[in-house]
Amino acid sequence: MKRFMTFVLAVGFLIQPFEVQAQEQDEKARQGTYAITNARIETVANGTIERGTVVIEGDRIIAVGENVAIPDGARVIDGSGLHVYPGMIDSGTNLGLTEIGSVAETNDTNEIGDITPHMEALTAVNPNAVAIPVTRVSGVTTVVAEPTGGLLPGTAAVINLFGYTAEQMSAGSKMVIVQFPQEPSGNRPRWQQSGPDRRQERYKDALAKLDEVFDRAELYDRIMTAYAADPSGKEQPVYAPEMDALRPVLSGDVALMVKVDAADDILKAIDWVQKRELPNVVFSGVNEGWRVADKLAEAGIPTLVGPVLATPTRSSDRYDRAYANAGLMAEAGVKVAIRSGESENVRNLPFNAGFAATYGLGKEAALRAVTLAPAEMFGIADDYGSIEVGKKANLFVSDGDPFETSTNILALFIDGFNVPIESRHIDLYEEFLNRDEGRLQPVEILPADN
Amino acid sequence: MPKEAAFPRSSRAGNSRGLLWLAAALWLLPSEALAQKNSPDIPVVSTVTAIQNARIVPSPGQVIESGTVVFRDGVITAVGRRVDIPYDAHVIDGGDSLSVYAGFIDALSHVGIPEPRNQGQPESVPDRSNPPFERAGITPEASARTALDPEDDAVEAMRHAGFTTALVAPRGRMLPGQATLALLAGTDASEMILQGAEPMFFQFEGAQGVYPGTPMGVMSKFRQLYREADRRRKLEAMYSEDPSGLSKPPFDPVHEAFFPVIAGNRSVAIWADDVLEIHRAMTLQEELGFSMMLFGLEGGFDTLSNVAASGVPVALTLDLPDKPRWAAKVEADSLQQILDAYDDETRTATFRDVEAEQRNLESRQLWSRARYVGMAAAYHDAGVPFAFASMGVDAKDIHANLREMIGEGLSSDAALAALTTNAASMLGLSDRMGAIRTGMMANLVVTHGSLFNEDTKITMTFVNGHMFEAPASTGRTGSNSPSDR
Amino acid sequence: MRNSIMKYTFSTTLLALLVVVSLGQAAFAQDVLIRNATVLTVTNGTLEDTDVLITDGVIADIGTDLRAPRGVDVIDATGKFVMPGIIDAHAHIALSSINEGSSPVTAEVSMEDVVNPYHLGIYRASAGGVTVSHTMHGSANVIGGQNETIKHRWGATDPDAIRFEGAPRTIKFALGENPTRVHGRRASGGSGAIVPATRMGVEQVLRSAFENGKRYMEAWDAYNAEAATNPRAVPPVWNERLEVMADILRGEILVHCHSYRADEIVMLTRVLKDYGVDKITFQHANEAFKVAPELAAYGAHASVFADWWSYKFEVYYSTAYNAAILTRNGVITSVNSDSGELNRHLYHEAAKSQRYGGLTDDEALALITINPAIQLGIQDRVGSIEIGKDGDVAIFEGHPLSVYTIPVLTYVDGVKVFDRENDPDDVRVDVDPTAEVGMYEGQITGKDHIHSHEEVVDMLHFFQSVADTHIH
Repeated sequence: MKRFMTFVLAVGFLIQPFEVQAQEQDEKARQGTYAITNARIETVANGTIERGTVVIEGDRIIAVGENVAIPDGARVIDGSGLHVYPGMIDSGTNLGLTEIGSVAETNDTNEIGDITPHMEALTAVNPNAVAIPVTRVSGVTTVVAEPTGGLLPGTAAVINLFGYTAEQMSAGSKMVIVQFPQEPSGNRPRWQQSGPDRRQERYKDALAKLDEVFDRAELYDRIMTAYAADPSGKEQPVYAPEMDALRPVLSGDVALMVKVDAADDILKAIDWVQKRELPNVVFSGVNEGWRVADKLAEAGIPTLVGPVLATPTRSSDRYDRAYANAGLMAEAGVKVAIRSGESENVRNLPFNAGFAATYGLGKEAALRAVTLAPAEMFGIADDYGSIEVGKKANLFVSDGDPFETSTNILALFIDGFNVPIESRHIDLYEEFLNRDEGRLQPVEILPADN
Repeated sequence: MPKEAAFPRSSRAGNSRGLLWLAAALWLLPSEALAQKNSPDIPVVSTVTAIQNARIVPSPGQVIESGTVVFRDGVITAVGRRVDIPYDAHVIDGGDSLSVYAGFIDALSHVGIPEPRNQGQPESVPDRSNPPFERAGITPEASARTALDPEDDAVEAMRHAGFTTALVAPRGRMLPGQATLALLAGTDASEMILQGAEPMFFQFEGAQGVYPGTPMGVMSKFRQLYREADRRRKLEAMYSEDPSGLSKPPFDPVHEAFFPVIAGNRSVAIWADDVLEIHRAMTLQEELGFSMMLFGLEGGFDTLSNVAASGVPVALTLDLPDKPRWAAKVEADSLQQILDAYDDETRTATFRDVEAEQRNLESRQLWSRARYVGMAAAYHDAGVPFAFASMGVDAKDIHANLREMIGEGLSSDAALAALTTNAASMLGLSDRMGAIRTGMMANLVVTHGSLFNEDTKITMTFVNGHMFEAPASTGRTGSNSPSDR
Repeated sequence: MRNSIMKYTFSTTLLALLVVVSLGQAAFAQDVLIRNATVLTVTNGTLEDTDVLITDGVIADIGTDLRAPRGVDVIDATGKFVMPGIIDAHAHIALSSINEGSSPVTAEVSMEDVVNPYHLGIYRASAGGVTVSHTMHGSANVIGGQNETIKHRWGATDPDAIRFEGAPRTIKFALGENPTRVHGRRASGGSGAIVPATRMGVEQVLRSAFENGKRYMEAWDAYNAEAATNPRAVPPVWNERLEVMADILRGEILVHCHSYRADEIVMLTRVLKDYGVDKITFQHANEAFKVAPELAAYGAHASVFADWWSYKFEVYYSTAYNAAILTRNGVITSVNSDSGELNRHLYHEAAKSQRYGGLTDDEALALITINPAIQLGIQDRVGSIEIGKDGDVAIFEGHPLSVYTIPVLTYVDGVKVFDRENDPDDVRVDVDPTAEVGMYEGQITGKDHIHSHEEVVDMLHFFQSVADTHIH
């Protein structure tokens, strides 16, 4: 932190002759023209530039390279000895939809109903959630915010972690979620043992229901297409917002995010998406993906893997299975992105990536799995995921490898905004580190009757 | 205390009072009815029974081929190869195809105590941290005797499995009450009850929604009751010696029920459902020093040395873990192959290895189950004498389970000893039962074939001289064998 | 019957093999010489190219070119790091029951009675270098049960064999939302709410338990004095609960209190001061940073999460800089797991204090070694690499505070309990003979706060009296 404080002062100082000298720190996030110079740039798309410059103008990166001219009027950040990375993308969170876990009124993840694909996460993301700044100061600039609960919980939104409205936060992609039915296994917990075991029955029902939903979606799509082509003389189609949400999934314009974990369920899910000929599918969770990695690779289905920091899925499994899962899948040819599955602690995404890197995925692939790989899967790679000219300026400056806990994130850009490194956690640190500076009497716990 | 609530009778028993009376009337026929089928309209003409030309196993390891056993009024009067058969005997001729064993003794069960029906939500209390004793499942002053019901289905079922006597524990939670020795026949509780050991029954079963709710709470509550009872017992002695200047000692039946335990006149019968409960029972016993009998011990192979060293009398459960579902579908020789293929060097590195992993895990599971099945043999091999307890086991599974244990190394003699002599000795009944000897109670099991063979059928059971013939369909010990001999 | 496996016999070799698999590490106290390691002693800096010799389960020597005694196992740790076995000051592993949630005060119950050496969490934590866990009662009650400090002697089957012999007794207290919700706000089992429903009530439950304990102690002292001369002296009513309260007052039991808010932390300190109890570690203590000077002045300790917050209202105003602020204010601080997931990478949890507050390597390592040892009163035995201390060490490839580190070997009392290269995948000591083989069991993740989990399972246990055999 001390390093960070020094740096903030230094940056304030370095952004000199072009700005008002008296301004100590720019508290507001501002767009403008910025040049980060002399930094080691991890472009992800085009390798590493050992000592180069990134120039940002407005919301875009306009130049990247070793010998780049610094535009007049640019605020310069001296990146000597520092690193520039693309902003990290978390491929599965509840960030922004939940504020305090145990307080129901602050949770907007789970709408009533089993079939609610039209529930849009983007609608309920609170741009001022306290966890958002807490997250972005770790270098995570973009996340998938997911609704939960039911067979089709809703539509996940890809959001940037800066903005005051949904429009400002949207990263231009969304996905409809299917919670793929999980085949019951093992004995029921003792407290559920009264009455007959209906788990298998319920499971079969859920599978049938899933098919039914998509059958009807196809029918609805046919009706709507025909009606749109020529409404004259036709009855107005029924109002079915659930099905409206599924139409772009059938066409492939919106990806279907299938949440599935157990090996057998993954195989069934592969069969299901192939049978339905769904054109744009990603799998999410995929805890046991390594067990069927060949099948996933063969099917060519991209995966959003995680959390990595998790226990094995079976008591007979090797202890490090969850750490190794992403690496084992990648080795078999599966495309992987990494998700934390977190809400308030999405800031641990880089550590999830770090553990995956350590246990087989490797640093380079792990970095890609939290940057360009998910951007490609979400269809937003033109704007996000790497440091390239023309892409959005979602990037950060750090004093080291962002997966390392000892590394500090020193500057952060989202949509070209120079977002201050501030959060409640940092504020509290600054207030309380030396709480009693200036107090004359030492503190004391007094007896109750005092 | 309202015992009705603690030990509700089965409503079936309550609703069929007429049938009960009928049964009672049959039983209360003159004693000549002994040893003959209880047909109400045929006069009984003999009080003595002789089984001749039978293979008699007086106690484990002993055999009298073509022998005779004679008993009168529930007492064995003669056993041997050359025995005079009284002129007035009802004679059963074994035709050299019957075997006779001492009736089995179930070292602990709920047989004769019908399961309460419609257990609704437990009654609410104003302060769940300090509930009345009964609500907390603490009624050590109660007795199984008042809850015994000969009409309980389990009585007949256990008889058909060869059991003639049981130590019957009341149902409930932590301290349901005192167990009682009972014959597995009779028209009412008093006819079933045998005088003898009445240990205090204790299990690690917390109360519903009130203190103590967990095994650790149960442990603490037991210590509290025991130590406070110890104090009260001393106070009581002081007071009865000379009350002058002393406040009246507090009294309640719960603490008083501990007095004979503390004095060493009553032991505590503890049901240990798993290996950790065995340790818990031994911990309490070591701390408090009461006399203990230990029952169940499922999974107790890992505690074998502790149990052996403690010298605590034990009765092992007759239950075995269900066979895993996958194994039920696999042919016998394939199972052996799976076992033999176990490889501890195997590693599941990638998706390519998951098939091999599955086979290896199956092998480990077979081995694990074999440890449960082989536990009785292990106890025997370690020289720890044990009886068997049927609590929680379906009577029709008992012989199949015994055969599995024998298949895993338990000798037939050891199995028989556990069912007869060891159980008698553990429960203090050796002078009355457990063997076929002159002067002992006529508790007998008569079989077609050697006791633990798969095709063996228990044809008759005698309880205190009363004969019970196996129903044609259920007598076979191999419960699913289709053919009859 | 037809397919009964009773018909199968186990070859002696196979049986021996399996016994090795399941019981291989049951024998304890061995000798090992670790060569040429970078030794992170924690209390005495970092020693390069150094050997550590453990004999009879105790660190016998630290130095260069140590002579290998005959028969000692020699490990070449060139390029590797050796640190003291990690100590988790707040765990719920290796227990078959956690919460006697039926009463606001249950000082008499003890985790000692429900230790479960078969629990796989022991091995999984060892695979993250953890050798000691403080395995605790739940947080439903203002005064919960006594905890147990265990050593990770994986393979042992006797609960006694995994106890940290000689470790001081500790007890769990809990303040705030958990006890007020469980007792004051939940009509349970058909019965009504009882005190406490507020933080005011929590204080009074504490005071009344202490006062009753004090009077109980005095009553027995008076009786014992009288009994020396009067054979007819009447002993006071026996009370297991107050026996334990009296032992706390006598200083024989260390208090570990689940707490979050600054005000309640100060409140307990005040109550303890009134009753002369000075050994207190605040567990979780998400707002301890706000009263760090008060804690330092009282000599209270804190055992905190690296970064958990916001899962309930009382942790909303938290900061991940908690450990750093406390450390900088002179409060002995540890980082704990309270989770069957986090306890597998406490080295990583401790390392977060470098991002959140810039602690030095030694300060960060102390959070999971010597500091929790102090909080558990076992600092003379474990928590650093010093001659004479227990042979509890963990060997890492890469510095343990790096995200790229890999724990490779863990020793408890000189006995190897984890070996990344050689351990089988399936290390279970007990294998369920009936369960589906290769069953998907789900995962514990970093966001599964044990509080919600334990509450679900133990409250279910409490309401329906189900046996919570496999909680984690």
